[in-house]
Amino acid sequence: MLILSRKLNESIVIDGRIVVTIVRVEGDVVKLGIQASRDVPVHRQEVYEEIQKANQGALTKGRPAVPKLAQKPAPPSEGTPPRSTENSIPAQAKDTLTTPKES
Amino acid sequence: MAQALLNQHAKVELMKFAELAEPEILPVTTENVVRLPLGLLGFEHIKQYVLLSKPDEAPFLWLQMLDDPNLAFLVVAPSAVISDYYPDISPEEVEFLGLAGSQDTLVFNIVTLRSSGTGTVNLKGPIIVNRNTLIGKQVVPLNAMDYSSQHPLPI
Repeated sequence: MLILSRKLNESIVIDGRIVVTIVRVEGDVVKLGIQASRDVPVHRQEVYEEIQKANQGALTKGRPAVPKLAQKPAPPSEGTPPRSTENSIPAQAKDTLTTPKES
Repeated sequence: MAQALLNQHAKVELMKFAELAEPEILPVTTENVVRLPLGLLGFEHIKQYVLLSKPDEAPFLWLQMLDDPNLAFLVVAPSAVISDYYPDISPEEVEFLGLAGSQDTLVFNIVTLRSSGTGTVNLKGPIIVNRNTLIGKQVVPLNAMDYSSQHPLPI
């Protein structure tokens, strides 16, 4: 692990394109500002690892049987009545459904 | 000819938008290619999936890898497993996905099946998809600490 010391408002640059800045220090809590483009996901490590682990445990091979759920829970009570949804796809999106795009 | 969009099985709620979109169950199997530009957490390199919906499997759907159909995630509309699910999506995520309101938005959550026949659902990292572009993201909502990554399935 690379260890660098920074003071409040100082920054580090990662890969020439990600900037991490110390924006606030309050007791033992350090607030970091991260500047990165939208294709760079940033997460708190413990949350990232929890979800990564859940995803890894969830991956199935060969399509196992789908469980039968118990009675649906009561919906939240509020005044908005159900509306029927628009089920047709707009023309622009139709083309994306038939042929896979190159990633 | 017109294929169904997938929110027929998803009740969608965002804290920013007060409306609910109530799903309709469709009688036919539908398949839609969904692109996750950032992949899933731990599977960042896999960006293309097929979302498969069969009426007899509702409210579950399959998020199957486009390049390896043998690999898939079982997903479910959160309204089928919990009431009052309000993942708080940050403005950056809303902008990333180009969402204008709940009518644009599909939410589903990844299910882990256990060999005992029970299972859990990850409410901490929902997958949010723009219904119009079929571009999605696994989002960590601002209120993620309020939800479990292993919420028991009501079976």
